[in-house]
Amino acid sequence: MKRLKRKKHNAGVEVNGERSVTREPDCGRKQKLAEIPQALNSDPVDIETLRRAAASKGGLLTDELRRKVWPKLLSINVYDLPHKPGRDVRDNHKDYSQVVLDVRRSMKRFPKGMPAAERAILQEQLIDIILVVLKCNPQLHYYQGYHDVAVTLLLVVGERMAIAMLHTLSKYHLRDFMDPTMDSTKHILNYLMPILEQVDTELHDFMIRSEVGTIFALSWLITWYGHVLPEFKHTLRLYDFFLASHPLMPIYLAAAIVLHREKEVKQTECDMAMVHHLLSRIPQDLPYELLIGQSQELFDQYPPSLLAKRAALQSRKSQSISTFKAFQLSTLHQRPDSVLQRLTKAQDSTTSRHASRHSGLEAALPRDRGQLWGKGNRMVKMAVWGLSATLGAAVFAVAQTAMDWGPEVLLQLF
Amino acid sequence: MAERGSTGEFSGSLTSSTLPPPRTRIFKIIVIGDSGVGKTCLTYRFCAGKFPEKTEATIGVDFRERLVEIDGENIKIQLWDTAGQERFRKSMVQHYYRNVHAVVFVYDVTNAASFRSLPAWIEECKQHALGTEVPRILVGNKCDLQDSIQVGTDVAQQFADAHSMPLFETSAKNPNSQGDGSCGNSDHVEAIFMTVAHKLKSQKPLVLSQPPGGSPGTINLSRGRDDSGDGGRGWGCSSC
Ligand SMILES: Nc1nc2c(ncn2[C@@H]2O[C@H](COP(=O)(O)OP(=O)(O)OP(=O)(O)O)[C@@H](O)[C@H]2O)c(=O)[nH]1
Ligand SMILES: [Mg+2]
Repeated sequence: MKRLKRKKHNAGVEVNGERSVTREPDCGRKQKLAEIPQALNSDPVDIETLRRAAASKGGLLTDELRRKVWPKLLSINVYDLPHKPGRDVRDNHKDYSQVVLDVRRSMKRFPKGMPAAERAILQEQLIDIILVVLKCNPQLHYYQGYHDVAVTLLLVVGERMAIAMLHTLSKYHLRDFMDPTMDSTKHILNYLMPILEQVDTELHDFMIRSEVGTIFALSWLITWYGHVLPEFKHTLRLYDFFLASHPLMPIYLAAAIVLHREKEVKQTECDMAMVHHLLSRIPQDLPYELLIGQSQELFDQYPPSLLAKRAALQSRKSQSISTFKAFQLSTLHQRPDSVLQRLTKAQDSTTSRHASRHSGLEAALPRDRGQLWGKGNRMVKMAVWGLSATLGAAVFAVAQTAMDWGPEVLLQLF
Repeated sequence: MAERGSTGEFSGSLTSSTLPPPRTRIFKIIVIGDSGVGKTCLTYRFCAGKFPEKTEATIGVDFRERLVEIDGENIKIQLWDTAGQERFRKSMVQHYYRNVHAVVFVYDVTNAASFRSLPAWIEECKQHALGTEVPRILVGNKCDLQDSIQVGTDVAQQFADAHSMPLFETSAKNPNSQGDGSCGNSDHVEAIFMTVAHKLKSQKPLVLSQPPGGSPGTINLSRGRDDSGDGGRGWGCSSC
């Protein structure tokens, strides 16, 4: 991959640290472990540092850090999370049966050792969090694969935070995939070949001749690779990266993966079936850190605007792309949690809930949000406590997250 | 597709590529139907010989293939397992309708809605120039769930007749003993796809090169599949 002079782009994922970090990985880790809490405690939160940590080698390192940093990357106030969905969230939803069908088939996404009963609880939560977000946003349409995103969030941050994150992602990063049709998604996929063309014309031409199309990368894109990676830790690493990046970044990673397999591709029979077959299967041993670095380089060298110009991609408007700037701006003025906790509490007692406390979530919610999310809350609460006594881990994990945040959050969780 | 495949310098992943073996013809079959009817399970069973423990939602299109021998000829059967959710059909799956040799429509015998969707799927195929001239079959899956059947054989057979397709009722999960076990001991799913392959092989103009060897009409399922004795009738399996 040839290198052009790298320019900083507003995606904010500058490829720093590569020099030092690659040589002394431990050093990078230690440095991150110190940097991240510092960034979290800055006022306003040092979002640039958090983004850089999420994108650079090793990502956010631990789930504990993920639970703290992921919400910040999406500008979510952890002291003002949506309530647990009530039973009625499942009533009369047009996507209900599709969601159930997909979630019931999603066993592979859960840790291997997890007891079936525990997984079953999480699967029920998964159905609920998907439906509650869809219900709050009638303009969003469920797609098969959305559940792969939701499950990744659920497993890391727990039910209520997962709702908040899924909600924001659906309005921004995943927005194009949630149109009534997949036309916008196809449009996003159309960025793939122009990237390849810039870097390796021969490979590009080969793929064009094979008529392979880009559907092999469809599940990569719309699930952020959650659907195709056998190892959850790799999925998490990529989620760190994508949460800190431009919504088109999954396409740049797709390009990096195809380029990485260039030899294999060229040696395959130049035939749609063969090339599709080869590419749609992700090899076990992909060097993710390397590929992440390369996708960032590709992004910097061939930003979407440039590709759009060259490949006549402008004709269609992508909501994810066009709202990205605004989204990024909204992340710039977050208060640290210590302040948020105070403010949120104070605000709760003085002003109405409709006061816009933070940008994303609140603004888009219907007025009866509290009602919608609150109903049946107590029932669920009791059920969860009952289960936690016998089942432990899943619920405990959530509770632990909450412990990190203090009793306030714990109270909100149940 | 088939043209390129069969004239190819080498033939793909299944054979090693030093010298082209006697050219392998490729039959490309697309499998469509509502989400959850069992398309992935059926194609997996045919290609891997067993019911998958865990399937997942198919996103876009999955591809499976298997090399079979029919009347002494090696044939590669390519199955394109498509996503059932409607939104994928329109703009995504399109691409894969091209150069298809046969279509397998699948519904779930325990789900009436999946049966009611069939006209839409058939229409969809027509729009991609896959009309009656292309071999098409209808498969009612999940026959093992005898207690929850919503689509009777009669009504399915009528529908199949009206669209001049053969009907097969089967189970990807348990294709050997359906209901009362009338289907004998052969792998029924395999028989279904092999039947399509035979049909394709017997169709002269379909794929280039050597004239088809098998005598048209004879269902001679290789690999001893015809040993259950009810050869031609077995796949009807009107028991369920
Ligand atoms: N009992 C029974 N269950 C089956 C059979 N075939 C499939 N299933 C189940 O039905 C569900 C759906 O099967 P899939 O093969 O994933 O369905 P699909 O048609 O590929 O669905 P999409 O990929 O969403 O379009 C799975 O839970 C399977 O285990 C069958 O013959 N008998
Ligand atoms: Mg499937």
